[in-house]
Parts: sequence; C-alpha cells; structure tokens
Amino acid sequence: MIAGGIEDEEKWLAAGIAGLQQNAFYMHRALDSNNLRDALKYSAQMLSELRTSKLSPHKYYELYMRAFDELRKLEMFFKEEARRGCSIIDLYELVQHAGNILPRLYLLCTVGSVYIKSKEAPAKDVLKDLVEMCRGIQHPVRGLFLRSYLSQVSRDKLPDIGSEYEGDADTVVDAVEFVLQNFTEMNKLWVRMQHQGPARDKEKREKERSELRDLVGKNLHVLSQIEGVDLDMYKDTVLPRVLEQVVNCKDEIAQFYLMDCIIQVFPDEYHLQTLEILLGACPQLQPSVDIKTVLSRLMERLSNYAASSTEVLPEFLQVEAFSKLNNAIGKVIEAQVDMPIFGAVTLYSSLLKFTLHVHPDRLDYADQVLGACVKKLSSRGKLDDSKATKQIVALLSAPLEKYNDIVTALKLSNYPRVMEYLDIETNKIMATVIIQSIMKNNTRISTADKVEALFELMKGLIKDLDGAEEEVDEDDFKEEQNSVARLIQMLYNDDLEEMFQIISTVKKHVMTGGPKRLPFTVPPLVFSSLKLVRRLQGSQEQEENPFGDEGSTSPKKIFQLLNQTIEALSIVPAPELALRLFLQCAEAANDCDLEPVAYEFFTQAYILYEEEVSDSKAQVTALHLVIGTLQRMHVFGVENRDTLTHKATGYSAKLLKKPDQCRAVYGCAHLFWVEDQDNLKDGERVLICLKRALRIANAAQQMSNAARGNTGSVSLFIEILNKYLYFFEKGNPQITVATIQGLIELITTEMQSDNSTPDPAADAFLASTLRYIQFQKQKGGAIGEKYEPIKA
Amino acid sequence: MPSRRRTLLKVIILGDSGVGKTSLMNQYVNKKFSNQYKATIGADFLTKEVQFEDRLFTLQIWDTAGQERFQSLGVAFYRGADCCVLVYDVNSMKSFDNLNNWREEFLIQASPSDPENFPFVVLGNKVDVDGGNSRVVSEKKARAWCASKGNIPYFETSAKEGINVEEAFQCIAKNALKSGEEEEIYLPDTIDVGTSSQPRSTGCEC
Repeated sequence: MIAGGIEDEEKWLAAGIAGLQQNAFYMHRALDSNNLRDALKYSAQMLSELRTSKLSPHKYYELYMRAFDELRKLEMFFKEEARRGCSIIDLYELVQHAGNILPRLYLLCTVGSVYIKSKEAPAKDVLKDLVEMCRGIQHPVRGLFLRSYLSQVSRDKLPDIGSEYEGDADTVVDAVEFVLQNFTEMNKLWVRMQHQGPARDKEKREKERSELRDLVGKNLHVLSQIEGVDLDMYKDTVLPRVLEQVVNCKDEIAQFYLMDCIIQVFPDEYHLQTLEILLGACPQLQPSVDIKTVLSRLMERLSNYAASSTEVLPEFLQVEAFSKLNNAIGKVIEAQVDMPIFGAVTLYSSLLKFTLHVHPDRLDYADQVLGACVKKLSSRGKLDDSKATKQIVALLSAPLEKYNDIVTALKLSNYPRVMEYLDIETNKIMATVIIQSIMKNNTRISTADKVEALFELMKGLIKDLDGAEEEVDEDDFKEEQNSVARLIQMLYNDDLEEMFQIISTVKKHVMTGGPKRLPFTVPPLVFSSLKLVRRLQGSQEQEENPFGDEGSTSPKKIFQLLNQTIEALSIVPAPELALRLFLQCAEAANDCDLEPVAYEFFTQAYILYEEEVSDSKAQVTALHLVIGTLQRMHVFGVENRDTLTHKATGYSAKLLKKPDQCRAVYGCAHLFWVEDQDNLKDGERVLICLKRALRIANAAQQMSNAARGNTGSVSLFIEILNKYLYFFEKGNPQITVATIQGLIELITTEMQSDNSTPDPAADAFLASTLRYIQFQKQKGGAIGEKYEPIKA
Repeated sequence: MPSRRRTLLKVIILGDSGVGKTSLMNQYVNKKFSNQYKATIGADFLTKEVQFEDRLFTLQIWDTAGQERFQSLGVAFYRGADCCVLVYDVNSMKSFDNLNNWREEFLIQASPSDPENFPFVVLGNKVDVDGGNSRVVSEKKARAWCASKGNIPYFETSAKEGINVEEAFQCIAKNALKSGEEEEIYLPDTIDVGTSSQPRSTGCEC
C-alpha cells in the first residue's frame, strides 16, 4: 500500500512537472514575442498544476520551486512591460481575470512585487492587499506555499528602516505588521491541518506537518532580519504577538517548534531583556510540549553568549538571569509531574553550565543548582535510566571543565550528594573523569580533608560497593586501578605532618579495596610513604630532633603503618609482591639506622619466603632479591646479620634445581665481603661459599652427564671462575693463584673432553674471561703484578 | 541566443551554522552588518543587480539554514544553481572540515550536468576576529583543499569589516556566468502549428 503510494506520488509529480513545463514553454514563447495576453494565459495554466492535492509537502515543494523559477521570468517581463509604459495598475487588475483562484493569487503576488518596486503605490497598501487576498486559499498545503511565495517576493520590498520603500506613510511598523499577519495566517493553516482528515492518518499528517514547519518558522526569520526592529519594538510588539499565537494555538508540534525558532532567530541581547516574557509563556504551553529541550537550548545559547566576551556579563547580572531561569525551571519541573527524571537532570545540567559561564565566582549558585537536583533525585532512589545517568555525568563534569580543578568542585557541598544517586557503573565513570581532570591539570590535592572528600567521591573505584556486578572487564579494571595508583602518587604536601595525615587517609581507604585492588594500590602507597621517610630523614639531618614529642610524625610511625599495609597483601594473596615491598622497607629502615625495624621487615620477608613462595622460579627471583638487599644492609650487628645470612645461605642450598642452588650459593659469597665495610671481610667464609658452589656445579654436571651427556653446566664453572677472579682482585687472601689456575685447567679439560657437545656460548664466555685476565696483566702496576702469575 | 534566462544567476550559499552566511549576503546586498547571531530558517534569497562586461545581471543569492533542523522541506531550491558558495569560519576547524560534506551533498542533491566542472567558490570568513589570533585554519591549508578539489577560487573575508566581500561576489558572479549549466531544453509533445514558426525560435524574428 505504502510503496504503491510513493510510486503513485512519483507519477503525479512527473505529470505535474510535464504539465508545468509544457505551459512554461508556451509562456516563454509569449514572453519572447511580448504577447502579454498569452503570457498570462499560459502562466495561469502552468500555475494550475499547483492546485494538486495529491503530493506530499516534499514533492509539492519540488513542483513549487519549478513554478517559482518560471515566475521569475514572468516578473522580469512585467518589469520590462512597466518600463515600456504599460500601467502597472492595469496589470494588477488584468491578472485578476485568471479563472482559478490559486493561479490568480500567484500572479497577483508576482505583479504586486513589481508594483511595489515601481513605487506607484505605497508598499504597505499593496502588501496589505496581498496578505488579505491570500485568505482565499484555505487548503493548508496550498495556502502555506502561496503565503511563503508572498513572503519571499516581498522579502526585499518591506518598508523597513533604511529601505528605499520606507516613506512618510510607510514605516517599519507596517513591515512588521505585514509579516506578523502573514505568520498568523500561516500558523492557523498549519495547525488546522492537524484536524483535517481521518484520525487513522494522524501519524502521516504529523510527518507532513513537520515537513512544512519551516514555511511557518521562516516568517520569524524574516522578522528578525527587519532593520529597525529594536529591543523596544521586539519587547512591546513582536514577541508578545508571536507568543500570543504560540500559546493560543494550543498545538504541541507548533508550540515546541516555534519556541525553538524564537530562541534561535532572535539575538541573545533581546532574550536577556525579555526573559520574563519568554519564560512566562512556558507554563502556558500544552503539558506534552518538550519544554526541557526548549529551555536547555535557550540556556545553551545564553551560555555561549556569556562565554563569547566578558563585556556582556553585566547584562546578565542586570536582568538577574540566573534567578529567573532558576525559578522558571523549578516551576516547569513542578508543573510537569510526568517529566522523566532525565528531563529534570538535563534542565539542571543546562542551568549549571549557564551559571558556571555567567557567574564563575558564585559557587553558591552552582551548589544551589546541585542541591535542587539532589532534592529531585531524592524522591527516586538510585538512577537506573541510562539517559539520566549520562546527563548526571554531564552535570558533574561541568564544574570540572569550568574550573579545571577538583578542589573547587569539592567545595560544592551538594556535589557528593548528587554522586550518591549514581549507579555503580556511572560512579566509576565519574570517578575516572575526576582522576583524568586531576592528571590533566596537575591538580595538587594537599590536605587530608580534601583527600578524604576525594576518596569518598570516587569510592566506586576504591572498593566494592553493595550490589556490584562481578563481571568487570579485566583490562578496564586494570586501567581504572592504574589510574587510582597514579592519583595516589600525586597527593602531596610540603608539610611533613600533613603529608603523613594524607598517607594515613589514603591507607584507610585503600585497605577497604579487597584482594583485587590491593596489588594495584598498595605499591604506590608504600612508595609514597617511603618518599616521606626520606624527606623526614633529610629534615632530621638539618635540625636536631624536631620530632621529639610522641604525637608527631616519625619514620618509626610510618614503618608501623607500612608493616600493616604490606601485611594486608596476604589476603590477596600476593606473597612475591609483599616480599619485594618488605625488602624495600628494610632498606629504608637501614638508611634510618633503625636496626630492629629493618630486622622485623627481613623476618617478614623470610616468613613469606618459607611459607608462601612455593613456585621454584619465584623462589629463585625472591632469593636473589633477599641476597642483594641483605648485602647492602649496614645497620645490623653481628648477631642479627649472622642469623639472616645463615638463613639466606640455607635457602640457597635448598633450591630445587642444582644450577639455581649453585648460583644462589656463589651469590651468598658476597654477603661475607662488603667493600666499604672493613668489619665485613670474611675471606674464609667467602671461600667456603665458592667451594660449595663448585661442589654443586660438579654434582650438576654429573647428573646431566648421566642423563644425556650434554654439558649444560660448564658455564656454571666459568661463572664461578669469575667470582674467584672478583674476590682475588679485591684482595681476599684465601683466593690464591693456584686455586684459580686449577679452575681454569679444570674448565679447559672439561670442554675438550670427548663426551662434551660443542657449546659456542660457553666458548665465548671462557674466551672473554681469559681475555680479561690478559687485559689485567697488561695494565701493569699492582693489578698487573697480581695477575702476572696466572697462566691462561 | 541572449535568452532571458541568462540574465538571472542563481547562487547557493552553504556552510555550517554560525559561519556567517547570512552576514556575507547582507554585507554584499545591503552593505549592513550585525554582530548578533540570528539563525536562518529554511532558505531565503536576496537579489542584486550586477554589471558584468557591459551587461546587467540579476544575482539571486540563496542563503540557507546551517542547522539541519531548520531545513525541514529539503533542498529542492538547489535546482538550477549556477554557482555554489561554500563558507567556513577560519576560527573553527570543524566548519572547515565540513566543507567536503557540504560540497558532496550539493553535488548529489543538485546533480549538475557536469559535476567535475561545476563552479564552487570557497570563503574563509571572520578573519577579523581577535585580530586573527584565534584563527585555527591557515590560509595554506584552505588553499590546498581548494586546489585538490579542482582549483576552487578562494577568498578570505570579513562580513563584519566588509573585507573582500565585493571581490568574492564578483568572482562568484563571473563563475556563475561561465557555468555550463543550461536549463534543460523542453520540447512539447504536440506543436500548435497555428502559432508562429519554430518551437525554438529566438528573439531575432522581429
């Protein structure tokens, strides 16, 4: 049915165009031969095609445009006729002989335009006559197009100020009157259309009406372009007359569209000065009109205007724009009980943007808007409507965008209260927006109170909220937690006491994060705390004991806090991470000369190693970290150090794989020889470690020979040789030329033996080790002397 | 033949909302400018007589709504255009980026007989704003785009100060006149032999 309808319409349009072209052809001939009578005859026939009722507005417009173009030629002909001496008044009479009313009126408008141009009669009289005559067409589509034709041909002949048609008798008032009258008639035709025809075609009619809307709205555009419509005339005549039509027509489509037109076609200054009148019309509109869009667009326009130049801001203050808009919105929300929540939020969001632009210094206004929003939301509970939450995000983002500073937004007492109404997902989105704003602007959050407020705001990221769905995308989760981690690193205050408070506050919140978040949030907290420890150290060195009293911050206090913090990782569990962090803390405690604290951290690390780190590769990594850290510690007394070293060597021998054991054991050799500490140079125990490493390497080799006959472990011997060389060079008396010589020979024999498979890496390793010996010899001096006896 | 048709030149102005289409037209036709932003609804035209090579032409300049929601009836008025003016705001990258869309949309909807050579003119408007400090589209960039689209003539204008407006419209008129667009030739099915000679007879029979 519908497809047939469209096809039929195409056919009718084609027929209409054909008829139009044929008559236009004869009209052209008549014009070329200056035959007025024929020109009128054929042009009237041509225009008869516009009498059709079969076309939709779109198609009718196509036909109309063709006729429109043809009429320009006729208009030019009329002008020439007038120039040749033909009386324009006679022409005006003559065209009225056309048989049908529609062609007659099109011709009349065309001649009328020439008539005004000839100035033989006052423009206002001709215009008045034409606008009255057009009443003859009451069919909506035909009438609207005819009147739009009248509007177009008279467009540049209105007697507005400065126009050549302005005269003593003709003024801008007449121009305005003419357009208003045409507008009124057109709006009536347009609205009436809704009530014509069967009810079942309502939808189709609404679509057609919607297509026709610009014909009506264009009158408002023309009004806005008339020179001489100043603020007074707009306020006293134009706006009230237009609004009268809008309100009285009681038609939803017309009211919504025309309000939008008024807002868009007239200048901002006028809107500001007539806000009361414009806003006063809103409650009078039909309840079904989408007022929130109308008002949002108005506020958007005014916000842009305010943003365009600071010079215009006094205008806003003078008319108290904020309170007027605030009142109007309150009334609209109150009156429209059925307005969906997202509509209300949209309005608040627009108003907030408005006030941020117009009154950047009035945080109380912004807070007032948020407060009103909270009040509205409080009647609903959490939001689950995606459109509404999107608007809330826009609402809450507006202050961040304006001030580029969360600290200012934190001053808005209603800000967190609005966030309460967000669902978990949206709360997270908003929290991410906040963090991004902080990152982008490098905002310094410098007090514990602010941190408290901030973490309260972004709690969606900090902990599991009630009713959270478990299905979170892994990557998204990582990203959001990484951003929290970055945020933690950015919190800073020069004041050490305040900084400690900040860290304590962060800890309090982070600890509620649960096993999934802690691995992301604990490390930045630990490092941030260690930074504070270092700063405390620095200041302690400068002044003598400024942290004498019990209550103030001390490294000890921070270490206590750190111990608890890292321990929390056991619920994850994340033993390897915790072990690393304990070691970091131990080293920091070492730098603070706090032996018991450092010992405690080592103990914690050892417990984790023994009880929690079970994977063999993880054990190797952990053990090397332990050895490396322990080697650098200088705070321990002999007893403590012995205990810890003893344990470390014990762990080394118990690793699963022989090569791992071997490497850990020769690593332990360093624990007995610390370069810058004279009391820590135990050559004998170094040698014991190295010998033990050799034995393990031997055992490893035998095992692999037995298994497959390959020589994976010859490189172990070369590694051990390098250790021997290191301690030899450092002056360990236990390492002699003979032991080194013996080891070199052992390796060479091993590599040349029959059952060894070639190993280029080991060859190269050995070669460069020997080259090193050679190089040291050539250095001469004490070193060269030392190396001289070694034969390589 | 110096047909009646060729004395009327139809020009369409297109571009994003707020770039100054209406202001350019008003400056050219009425020598007036207003700083106030007023949206255009539908399509509206003004005419201006221009003298060109000793002949008088009527420029019919169509100003259009940049906002789509004010173009409810479609673009049937593109039909028969002799030149299309594309306007952007040199202070708005988006308005420049959209030139391509406006050009393509015009070629599709107006379907001129020779789209490759249909005359366009590009105007970079609002060069006066903030002494040029807020400008984001460089002249070089704009000219490069114009060159890539078949050497479209380019002007930097200020409707407010009247800079280059006259020159631009001179060029627009010249290009409209050169445009190859001829009205489709119509031959009626039946010819009334009673009236004068050939259907395509011209003005020279007198």
